[in-house]
Amino acid sequence: MAIAEQRIRREFREVIRSEEVERCRIKVELVNDKFNELKGEIAGPPETPYEGGKFQLEIKIPETYPFNPPKVRFVTRIWHPNISSVTGAICLDILKDQWAAAMTLRTVLLSLQALLAAAEPDDPQDAVVARQYKERQDVFQKTATHWTNVYAGGPNHADDLEDKVRQLTNMGFEEDQARVALSSHNWDTAQATDFLLS
Amino acid sequence: MSECGAGSSSKDGQGSEDTTYRQSEPADSGAYECNICLDSARDAVVSRCGHLFCWPCLYQWLETCPHRQVCPVCKAGISQDKVTPIYGKGSNDKKDPRNKLPPRPPGQRTEPENHNAFSGFGFGEGNFQMSFGIGAFPFGFFASTFNWSDVRPGPPPAGSPHHEEEQILSKAFLLLAIVFIFWLLIA
Repeated sequence: MAIAEQRIRREFREVIRSEEVERCRIKVELVNDKFNELKGEIAGPPETPYEGGKFQLEIKIPETYPFNPPKVRFVTRIWHPNISSVTGAICLDILKDQWAAAMTLRTVLLSLQALLAAAEPDDPQDAVVARQYKERQDVFQKTATHWTNVYAGGPNHADDLEDKVRQLTNMGFEEDQARVALSSHNWDTAQATDFLLS
Repeated sequence: MSECGAGSSSKDGQGSEDTTYRQSEPADSGAYECNICLDSARDAVVSRCGHLFCWPCLYQWLETCPHRQVCPVCKAGISQDKVTPIYGKGSNDKKDPRNKLPPRPPGQRTEPENHNAFSGFGFGEGNFQMSFGIGAFPFGFFASTFNWSDVRPGPPPAGSPHHEEEQILSKAFLLLAIVFIFWLLIA
């Protein structure tokens, strides 16, 4: 049996018994019986805009695992400086050059949770989100909370933002696109409309 | 919470496998697991920072990122010649010699500490050593020392056999100098 598969089997057993899983902080599920693709889930950390949300992750295990890092992507849409609001691609050093062979699925999921709690806007994946994070922290908090509510099942509904999205969908724009355009333009309806039309 | 229920049901699904896992390995074996494959360490080596690995696993890690040789656990500096092999009584050397890999680095034996450290200092005991070096540029030293105030003869007339000989010698020494400088840079 290849070392990657053998290790994922062991890790899988480790992670589903871990304390974090018991407290519903993280979760992993198998997608197939080859152990090279998994579904992860992390809970939004408390006292952040992501609190109350459940974020789904796509985890792909390369054949060279654990000598190379797993490929991880957010499936659930999220508004965060280090995660692409469009593709869910993650900018996190341990998933790139700072990977170490002793890291596990559990430590990766916990690191991602830590990333949600402490963004690094100076090393962004999504430049638009990072700029908003640095220049308009209040708007960022509101937008991230709204995205958590809409995509990750978070509890905080924002009627004013929903109204603006509906305004654009009534004009014939697709809902997700409208939300991205509004979020990227600090919820300025006129600017977002111009952007969508250009 | 309902999600937790789902999580524990998948745990139950693994139940039978878990039992065999526990039977095959005693509960305290975790302390001797390789930090990379999470199996009990084979051909065990320990890093200076104290982390245990299978030698094949650690070797593959060091090969994967040759420009960044760090401990997979704590990211302390690590290298092939700075790990210590562990030889248990029940040696597993007989099976699987792992031909493809370089052998485990050998253990390093240091002589037991000498408690009367100054006993070797006397001249009569034959242990006294002395060395003298001029450093990296002995040529400069010789040139400046031995040619001091030496009046050099003028160049021989062009075309004479003496001149040709000097040209060859000059080229030979130039080549030697280049080789020497190159060696200095490489070393």
